Amino acid sequence: MKPGDTIGGETVAALEARAPFRFPREMVVALAVLAIAWEIVSLLVPPFIVPGWGRIFKSLATLRMDFVLVTLARVVGALVISFALGLGLAVVMYASVAVERYGRPIVRLLMAVPVVCWILFAVLWFKWVEFRIAFVLVVVCGPVFLVDVLDAMKGVSKDLRDMLRSFRPTRAQTFTKLVLPATVPAILTSWKINLSLAIRVVTIAELVGAVTGIGYGLVVAQELFSVSDVFAWTLILVVILFLAEAVLTRVEERVLRWRA
Amino acid sequence: MTSAGTIEVEALRKVFHQTGTGEAVVAIERLDFVVAQGEIVAIVGQTGCGKSTFLNLLIGLDRPTDGRIVIGGRVPYDQFDHFRGVLAAVFQQDRLLPWRTAIDNVRLPLELLGQQPSDQVERARAWLDRLGLARFEQAYPHELSGGMRQRVALARAFVIEPALLLADEAFGHLDEVTAAALRTAFVDLARTAGNTAILVTHQLEEAIELGGRILVFGRPGKLLADIDLKTWPVGAVASLRAEIQRMLQSNAPEPRFAVRTERESRA
Repeated sequence: MKPGDTIGGETVAALEARAPFRFPREMVVALAVLAIAWEIVSLLVPPFIVPGWGRIFKSLATLRMDFVLVTLARVVGALVISFALGLGLAVVMYASVAVERYGRPIVRLLMAVPVVCWILFAVLWFKWVEFRIAFVLVVVCGPVFLVDVLDAMKGVSKDLRDMLRSFRPTRAQTFTKLVLPATVPAILTSWKINLSLAIRVVTIAELVGAVTGIGYGLVVAQELFSVSDVFAWTLILVVILFLAEAVLTRVEERVLRWRA
Repeated sequence: MTSAGTIEVEALRKVFHQTGTGEAVVAIERLDFVVAQGEIVAIVGQTGCGKSTFLNLLIGLDRPTDGRIVIGGRVPYDQFDHFRGVLAAVFQQDRLLPWRTAIDNVRLPLELLGQQPSDQVERARAWLDRLGLARFEQAYPHELSGGMRQRVALARAFVIEPALLLADEAFGHLDEVTAAALRTAFVDLARTAGNTAILVTHQLEEAIELGGRILVFGRPGKLLADIDLKTWPVGAVASLRAEIQRMLQSNAPEPRFAVRTERESRA
């Protein structure tokens, strides 16, 4: 059966696209094996090195869940700003070769600076904690959005460009009818990459100066030498990342349903 | 006044320069001919004879090195925007936008022309229906077969009712039955609408099947013969086929098909 073949008036590809949800058996089995192995190790070593699941879940019940919301709000807010800036600058650099030639080296320079250095700069330059965290996230994630989107815009197939040009579109029409829609897959991939990056970076940024958020929670746990709290926070971070990626994957499946 | 679909090609030459070495590569040596409004012309030639380059020049995507192409009294490259809604092309690959459904792909040129959305849908639907795709208007390109996609591309070209229709090896990669059906549809639609149609192909059979005028291109981009099939008796087509093949192989014109330049014709 080929995608173009039809069954009952509908193409095979269309029917396949509506296939029911598939249970991720392999992932569940792999994680279960890891959890069991963890529990076995926790029985063999002292709890201040590897706490068992019982201790970790007990810690989970005592953690401040409002910190999770605070961290999530910081991540989402900074990603929205980073995306808006990245997309805006990508459009400008796409429209002007000169701006791109001067802008690229600066972007590459920004991307080469280690996250820790950005955190130190933020502490030295800015007083307001929220601004520090937002600055670090935007300066780390913004260039990633910019480069991903710009490369996708420049990578639009010449065949499609020529096809559209044969109909004489305006510059704005070329952008809205061809370039922007063709860039959507890259935008979604960039969101996935940046989400994972932002969750890791925000935690480090919150270690310095913040009095809320998961990063701050981790500092407190470390100061109290509560290993189970550290693992509980880590578990929360991993779950957030998994859930966020799952949501983005669903969005991707919906938005990119035109893909084979 | 010149009709919108009249094409005048005069001393046309196109040279490319290779990236790196800068070496000049002649894609079109010299072309001179005229295509009248409503005429259906097949351009046939071997790979590398400048057919696609010529089509790009005709569409206005590229500028000639020397000479000129004039369509309906205007130059497609210099007066690019004038040709909005005047010409449409069907390419070797369907070049459908993968994120648009069949009907949205057909609507695309109408959107660019700023037509009312309700008119766009009505006209796109009518063309899909005419090409036998009424049941697939909401299908994405990846859900359609190669032949169906090319029919959507045809509908997209015809929907603006252009004065000039161009097809660049548009049916060559399809199976013979589908190709023949689409070719017939292309010619019928062009004839009905009174469009000028240029069909570029490397398949001699395809050119002969059109039954109109054949321009035989040699390498690099020169006119070996300008043949009007209507003047040939049906029984003589087999010998004509053999003569064109000989011309293509030798890359030299047969004396009986001597091509006169536009200037010579006018004189």
